[in-house]
Amino acid sequence: MGSRGCVRFRGIYVLPIRGKKCLIIDPKLGGSLSSIIQTSLLKEHGVELRHLSAEPIQSDCTKVVFLVRSKIDLMKFICSNVHNDISKGLQREYHVYFVPRRAVVCEKVLEDEKVHQLMTIGEYPLYVVPLDEDVLSFELDLAYKESQVDGDTSSLWHIAKAIHKLEMVVPEINTLILLDREVDMVTPMCSQLTYEGLIDEFLHINNGSVELDASIMGVQQEGKKIKVPLNSSDKLFKEIRDLNFEVVVQILRQKATSMKQDYTEMTTTTQTVSELKDFVKKLNSLPEITRHINLAQHLSTFTSKPSFLGQLDMEHTIVEAQSYDICYEYIEEMIHKQEPLVNVLRLLILFSVTNSGLPKKHFDYLRRELLHSYGFEHMATLNNLEKAGLLKKQETKSNWLTIKRALQLVVDDTDTANPNDIAYVFSGYAPLSIRLIQHAVRSGWRPIEEILKLLPGPHSETKRGRFSSSPSFDTLQGASANIDRAADGRRSLVLVVFIGGVTFAEISALRFLTAQEGMAYDMIIGTTKIVSGHNLAETFVEKLG
Amino acid sequence: MANVSVAAEWQLLGDRYYRKPDLYHPLRWKHIDLSRNKVACAPFGGPIALIRDDSKIVQLYAESALRKLRIFNSAGVPLSETIWKNPGGRLIGLSWTDDQTLVCIVQDGTVYRYTSHAELLEPNFSILGQEYLDENVVECVFWGNGVVCVTDACKVFSIADFKSKNPRPLRLADPAPEGIEELPHCVAVIEPQYTMSGNVEVLLAIGDGVVMVEEDEVQPLPLPPGDGPLQKMVVSGDGRFVASFTHDGRMAVYSTRLEKIFEYECESALPPEQLAWCGLDSVLLYWDDMLLMVGPSDEPVRYLYDEPIVLIPECDGVRILSNSSIEFLQLVPNSTVSIFKIGSTSPAALLYDALDHFDRRSAKADENLRLIRSSLSEAVEACVDAAGHEFDVSRQRTLLRAASYGQAFCSNFHRDRIQEMCKTLRVLNAVRSPEIGIPLSIQQYKLLTPSVLIGRLINAHQHLLALRISDYLGMNQEVVIMHWACSKITASLAIPDATLLEILLDKLKLCKGISYAAVAAHADKNGRRKLAAMLVEHEPRSSKQVPLLLSIGEEDTALIKATESGDTDLVYLVLFHILQKRQPLEFFGMIQARTLARDLFINYARCYKHEFLKDFFLSTGQLQEVAFLLWKESWELGKNPMASKGSPLHGPRIKLTEKAQSLFAETKEHTFESKAAEEHAKLLRIQHELEVTTKQAIFVDSSISDTIRTCIVLGNHRAAMKVKTEFKVSEKRWYWLKIFALATIRDWEALEKFSKEKRPPIGYRPFVEACIEADEKGESLKYIPKLTDPRERAESYARIGMAKEAADAASQAKDGELLGRLKLTFAQNAAASSIFDTLRDRLGVS
Repeated sequence: MGSRGCVRFRGIYVLPIRGKKCLIIDPKLGGSLSSIIQTSLLKEHGVELRHLSAEPIQSDCTKVVFLVRSKIDLMKFICSNVHNDISKGLQREYHVYFVPRRAVVCEKVLEDEKVHQLMTIGEYPLYVVPLDEDVLSFELDLAYKESQVDGDTSSLWHIAKAIHKLEMVVPEINTLILLDREVDMVTPMCSQLTYEGLIDEFLHINNGSVELDASIMGVQQEGKKIKVPLNSSDKLFKEIRDLNFEVVVQILRQKATSMKQDYTEMTTTTQTVSELKDFVKKLNSLPEITRHINLAQHLSTFTSKPSFLGQLDMEHTIVEAQSYDICYEYIEEMIHKQEPLVNVLRLLILFSVTNSGLPKKHFDYLRRELLHSYGFEHMATLNNLEKAGLLKKQETKSNWLTIKRALQLVVDDTDTANPNDIAYVFSGYAPLSIRLIQHAVRSGWRPIEEILKLLPGPHSETKRGRFSSSPSFDTLQGASANIDRAADGRRSLVLVVFIGGVTFAEISALRFLTAQEGMAYDMIIGTTKIVSGHNLAETFVEKLG
Repeated sequence: MANVSVAAEWQLLGDRYYRKPDLYHPLRWKHIDLSRNKVACAPFGGPIALIRDDSKIVQLYAESALRKLRIFNSAGVPLSETIWKNPGGRLIGLSWTDDQTLVCIVQDGTVYRYTSHAELLEPNFSILGQEYLDENVVECVFWGNGVVCVTDACKVFSIADFKSKNPRPLRLADPAPEGIEELPHCVAVIEPQYTMSGNVEVLLAIGDGVVMVEEDEVQPLPLPPGDGPLQKMVVSGDGRFVASFTHDGRMAVYSTRLEKIFEYECESALPPEQLAWCGLDSVLLYWDDMLLMVGPSDEPVRYLYDEPIVLIPECDGVRILSNSSIEFLQLVPNSTVSIFKIGSTSPAALLYDALDHFDRRSAKADENLRLIRSSLSEAVEACVDAAGHEFDVSRQRTLLRAASYGQAFCSNFHRDRIQEMCKTLRVLNAVRSPEIGIPLSIQQYKLLTPSVLIGRLINAHQHLLALRISDYLGMNQEVVIMHWACSKITASLAIPDATLLEILLDKLKLCKGISYAAVAAHADKNGRRKLAAMLVEHEPRSSKQVPLLLSIGEEDTALIKATESGDTDLVYLVLFHILQKRQPLEFFGMIQARTLARDLFINYARCYKHEFLKDFFLSTGQLQEVAFLLWKESWELGKNPMASKGSPLHGPRIKLTEKAQSLFAETKEHTFESKAAEEHAKLLRIQHELEVTTKQAIFVDSSISDTIRTCIVLGNHRAAMKVKTEFKVSEKRWYWLKIFALATIRDWEALEKFSKEKRPPIGYRPFVEACIEADEKGESLKYIPKLTDPRERAESYARIGMAKEAADAASQAKDGELLGRLKLTFAQNAAASSIFDTLRDRLGVS
């Protein structure tokens, strides 16, 4: 996988406000900022850091800087903070920095609330956050919901801008693949089975790290949480992150065993100095091995649960799309048992999407049972899902079987240890999204055009652009781009952008593709956000109240 | 020899040579007598403004009786003129600012500003403060962009920056004590850029001394005894020295703190008409027909003039304007001296000479070259430099040829130098041509910078030359084309829109990325709204296009363009603009059919304008959306702490929910929602009752299932049953709920009783699950045997660690995969593990 370019994105943005100040940040920005600014550095510069909420500011700084995404609903927090100060007779200097740019609508709200004239407004043009060597995020976690449910397509403009910026910084990108999440809502709803994917499913990776009880990592400190960084600077993680979890367990076991063996030899036989050296070198990797053994052990407490196995089984049954009734009853039972709503929604979405909706009777029944079990306030949730087309009444016959067969999405004998297909990431299901990219890269969209027509969403010309023959950015790069880069031994660089989010499992599958022999492309992945079925489904959960 | 004639024109002052080449001779103007006019000449070869001096008698017949302000370029080509009939008394001061605005100050303190096209720049304003309007200005001293005035009451006022939109006059401290209104003999200023405070400092010669006046401070500066009173003062171009003329006919140079550095005794005690610095090396004094140049040595240089002159100080010399010519008096540059000085044997002189021999095919050329081989690059450099300082084109050429000739034999000379100099000279020669009339020296050009020069050219409407120069120098042409387009629009009132559009587009397309919107804005400002609309159509950047469309009232187009751009921010901009200008109903009508605009409006209104949003939905007939809003409101009432205490606020909540229900019922498509709202209202009532009867505020806002569970947990089975029947809860769900509720309170007896009520519609698995999850193995064993599916039995046994029983059940199921999985579960237990192996062998699965 190409690590070209992404690092160049680590820019340092400086807010031009001198002196002691209270910096109030939008909690959602916290993570992406921490990958750019160190909080300790802020403290050194006399900055008090707070999270934005309805609670009034507790600070005696005279300068207050709000750093927020340009979202309408955040404005009420700013307004209530300022109103609170005014009512207490506090005079402060307010600055609002919008990420990534000012928004007319936000300023309108500030005007409506009569606080606009008290503010100095600025912009903080953070469009792209590098998450890893080959992954860039635009940090738009609500992009899918906003555009599908609310009809607010602001994120698309943001994405276009981000791609434009990328183009300037990494001019060697010569092909762009845009993939709308809408095309494949099946994949994210399935439980990821790669190591990194599973960690995300159960422990929620946040900006390249997970937070865990210290005891899990073998640190005996009562109730203390620790952050475990997960990125490619950890050599062992880089090696195993994309593998199926089953295999990871075996690899870790082997490593531990061989370490133990070496140690025994070391203590029982006499060693030459160079052998000693080798051993010490191996010892250096011991903390990494321990870390991942702890993590893997913790994960297996989840993966061995019958409920998880049952859920996996059900996901495969739904994707197979051969046994409607079993699936229907399983979901009905989940609702009756009042299992966590998001888990239910994931399966329900998967079920509805693969069946292109549910027969009216079932649709109404399950919705009623859901409202009865989880409360009528979830009418809004159901309404959201319906608007997004993720849970709907069946109106046409489903194309899923055709798609599944034509693209060979279900692969029966998957050798997870020595995979020869991307299906290993879901132990037998090849993610539709990545299968499409695989086809695009190998032979262009044309041969699968008929299938593309069956997929949701309009298929514009650009989507089916002649991929292999002429990269779409030729005209921008001038004549030199016409030279086939693959021919001179250097791989072309493809930017794959997932509009609406991508899962770790899909990233793994893409990395697997680029590692294949004869692949003429390196890939950089751009995404609105790293998602899992859990947090994607969660974005639709809304209460009326 | 040619060299001799060049040096023959020089004058020696001390050990330095000066020369005074003609810039333009004769001037293009006719019948101008400088002595009868007030004259203002802009530095950097800028324009000349003339206006008849009203302190002199009008000569009938010779002059028009009308007073005119006339503006010429430096070659005397008339640029513009206008009739001067401004009130306010005599014209006291006249000067050009840095951006070539002509500032005229009259007696009563009014300031009139003109462009170089003699157009008055509104508004006029007074330099005197409100309460001093009855005083008269008697003296003005200008610098770059500012001026200092002294009134007849000896008050001092200043304007620091004419460029600012609203120049504000500032009163400085009074130079003389209260009551003493002695006028200063002369005034000089030290520009803000050279003072410590960053504000202007004014030197006034009052009585025998000098005072320095600042904004709020007066400081007397002691003069050397016998020097005062001073008749004239002028500050040097670098703000470090003051040249002055004493009462007894001495020219003295002081530091700005008036420590004497140098003095020269003149032949006359009469103060000179003009006193000026020539560069930083010498001072010029002008009396009636004589110009005296005094340098640091004893012997001055004298020039005689039989016509009046005006001295125009430049950074590197002085331009001398007379009725018939304009000259440039400057120190001869070192490179020029080294080449042309009589008898010079410098390498550069030899190189220049070598070229002459070469041209005459003399072998001496080679001899010269060999003589200077070691310092050839130095010689080439001197020739290039000297060429730059020449005004005479043929001499420039000869010097450059000499440089080029030398360069051919010179390996280490930076070759771009000659090319660069050629470029610079081409530009200079172009602007020096009399039609353009900007006689810049190379030093002035470098100080001014090419971009400012281009700015001046376009202000003078020399667009073609400006365009060519910016192209030639590889600079952005946008500024030129933009200015041209705007000037063209202003000047073309008679040309129809379509024709003018063609003309403009033809040029605008020369420059990629030019702002069509800016041109369109200009057209709009000139009252050509239609042309503006046509132009803005060509603007590719929506962010510029849309605001302009709004400002010219094209709201519909603006909305379409904003939507097409995909930039939601622009759509909001248009939305709020329309919202402000139109009636709500009209606004609703405009956005109803436009999906993006409508959705964005809804998103905004949803957060902050609930009632307005309701109006929108009602006016567009989206009753179900109104219903959702009402339903949402009912919840917000619920969040009110008063409501949760079982107060009568329940009533309004239920009412709102019922209202929502009836609105949903209006449309067939929303039967489901209607039913849900109805059930919700019913649930609220029941929960309210439950809270009253149980005296526990734990029911409201929980779901139906939760309500049932809570009732069972509280032991109120009748209430649970009532809820079940009221909402037609299915038997299946009822069983799950009751089983888990009983397990929660660990009422195993009741659970067993419940299992025996009738055959459970969902089998016994839920009973097993509930027991295992509560970690009651014993209880679970009551139900596991009742499981009908052997696989389920096997797994249940396995979960509670009963390997043998699990294995038996599994073998009944004849499921190899299951056996394998169970074996893994018992991996730690060797005995159990072997049981599975045996079984697997027996089943024949590997």
